[in-house]
Parts: sequence; C-alpha cells; structure tokens
Amino acid sequence: MKSLSTRKTRLPLVALLLVLAATLTAKAQGAKIQLNNLDHLAARASQTVDVNIDERLVQIAAKLLSSVDADEKKIKKIVDGLKGIYVKSFEFENAGEFTPADVESVRSQLRGPAWSKLVNVTSKKDGSVEVYLMLVGDQISGLAVLSVEDKELTVVNIIGPVDLEKLSQLEGQFGVPELAIEPPKPKTKN
Amino acid sequence: MNEKYLWDKSGKPDPQIQQLEEILGALRYEHRPFKIPGDLVIGRRRSYVPVLAIAATIALALLAAGLWLRVQNQKAPQFRAEDARPTVVPSGIKENVPKPLVAKDESLDQRPKELRVPIHHRKSAGNLLAGNLSRVKYSPEPDLKPSERREALIAKGQLMMALRLASEKLNLAQRRTQLSSPANLLRNQHKVG
Repeated sequence: MKSLSTRKTRLPLVALLLVLAATLTAKAQGAKIQLNNLDHLAARASQTVDVNIDERLVQIAAKLLSSVDADEKKIKKIVDGLKGIYVKSFEFENAGEFTPADVESVRSQLRGPAWSKLVNVTSKKDGSVEVYLMLVGDQISGLAVLSVEDKELTVVNIIGPVDLEKLSQLEGQFGVPELAIEPPKPKTKN
Repeated sequence: MNEKYLWDKSGKPDPQIQQLEEILGALRYEHRPFKIPGDLVIGRRRSYVPVLAIAATIALALLAAGLWLRVQNQKAPQFRAEDARPTVVPSGIKENVPKPLVAKDESLDQRPKELRVPIHHRKSAGNLLAGNLSRVKYSPEPDLKPSERREALIAKGQLMMALRLASEKLNLAQRRTQLSSPANLLRNQHKVG
C-alpha cells in the first residue's frame, strides 16, 4: 500500500522532470540558426570560414584544452557547457556579391520572441553589427552575431550559456589575433 | 627400602638407589666458567642477495614501464599544429599566431655554446612540432583514441577560430556602440561648438 502511494507520487515528479528537461533541451536547440541558406555564397567569396561544432565536438575539443595553462583555462571556462558553435563568414572581392535577401534569411530567424536584440549598430560606411541573445530566465542560452559589411558577411551562432564578458576579452589572447582596427588618428588642424 | 637414605642420605644406603645414582651421576650439574669456543666466528657476513634481488626487480619493472610508455608514444599519430589551425582567415585579422621556433642561424641561438646542438643533429621541424604536441597529449585526455584525438585537434582549431571571430565581432559592436552613444555625440558637439 505504502509502495503504491510512493509510486503514485514519484511518477508525476519523474514526468515533470522529463518535461522540464525536454523543454530546456528544445530551448537550447532552438538557439541554433539555419545557416544553410548562405552556402551558395561560398562560390563567390574570396575567403570563407565555415565552422560547425556540435556539442560532442565542443566536448572533445575541450578535452584538449589544458587546465594548467592560464589562457587555455580561460577558454575552457568559456567553452564549458556550450552546446554548439556555428560560424559562417564570407569575404568578397567586390561589393554587392550578396543580396539583402541573404541577410534577411538569417535576420528573420532572429526576429522570433525567443531572441532579444542586444546591440544594433548600423552605419552606411561601415555596415551593421547586430548582437542577439536568447535568454532562459536570467541565463543566456544562445548568442547570435550578424555582421554585414560591403564586402563581408559574418554570422556567429553560439548555443549554450555564454559569458559575453569573458568572450569579448578573448580577442588578442592565446594566439587569437587582434583585430586590425587602426586607432583613430588625431585630427589635424586645417 | 630405606626411605631415610632416599630422603636425605641419612640411613642405610640402598644398593639399588646407589646404582641408580651412579648411572645418573654423569648427568649431574657441574659448575664451569663460561668459555667461548675457539672456532666460533664472531660478526658473520650479512647476505646481500635478497636486497640485490629486490633492487633488480624494481629496476626491471621501471625499465619495462619506460619501454611500454615509449611504445605507446610511438603508436600515437603525430600531428602538426598546422593541422589543427583552419587555413582560411577572415579579413581584418592580423595573423599573430605564434609559430614554432627553430633557430636556423647559429648566431640567433642565445644559449651557451656547449648547450647548442648542430642543426644537422636536430630533429626535423615536424618532429619538433609533434614533440610539442605530445605535451598536450599527456596533460588532459589520456583516454582519447588516435582518430578521436585527430578529430579533437581539428575541432579545437575550429573552436579557436570561431571564438576569435565571435570575440572580434562583439568588440566591434561594443566599440561602435560607444562611438555612436549620445554621450559621445554630445561631447563631439561641445568640441565643435
């Protein structure tokens, strides 16, 4: 009789946990953007970066990161818990090699209620950079960066809990090359 | 039988008892001073055979372990760092990735002369790279199969590339946001005015 009652209370609990886990997994998977629409641009691009790292590969790669070396330790912390990293970056010789429709195919996926736009900087001269976050409660479960320039189109999609501060600190560290942005020149008087 | 003789030898001696006394008399206690026998060797040599046997066993075990590790090391495939690094680099990025240092010019070698090894005695650059990577092998993941390890190295390279791009773009967005913030606009207006 007692075992029957405990089983009765345990079953809904297990079911609830399963539903919760499934929801969280679905939510995490929902952070993945479909980037296949951009594949045709590779033929026209002078340089292409195509990175597809799923959860298994993230875990395997993380195994190679040293927990002793300070720089690799930082990267390991960033990578820890990530469910996937997907990047597509195209650089072209000439402007106008990709259409607004190509950009829209990515942007439209980020307009859903799950995503919130964190940053949107648009400039006629330098193009636009958009940063989107997917939040579950207070925690980030996905990041998407869409960078559009005249001759360059880059989409970064990271799935899982991302530490934005740590990630932005990575540039220029651990053989991660610094961005070749020249500091603003002092204005000369006419 | 005269019991007094048996008790304290006071009565008439009993011939049977006397006979027994004679027979057993040879075994009677006789007080003698302690004498060390002349042929006795004092401080006999200790046998080192067991100690030597133990030492030899330990040495053999260490040798066997060393050989086994060497064989295992040779079995693992050797990878170059270039394998793990993606070949395509997006524009606007300076390639500062450190390359393995192989001193081609003897004058560049800062070490004392006695420590220098002639170039033709050194291992090839490929082997040096593999040697560097072997450190990575022993540190975190001893249970990876060679195929998995190769996959992991490629994934690591791609991961670095992806994180680099993500970091770059985030910083770019941050810089542009700061440049176009109202506070900066106001400051610029003040400068112009």
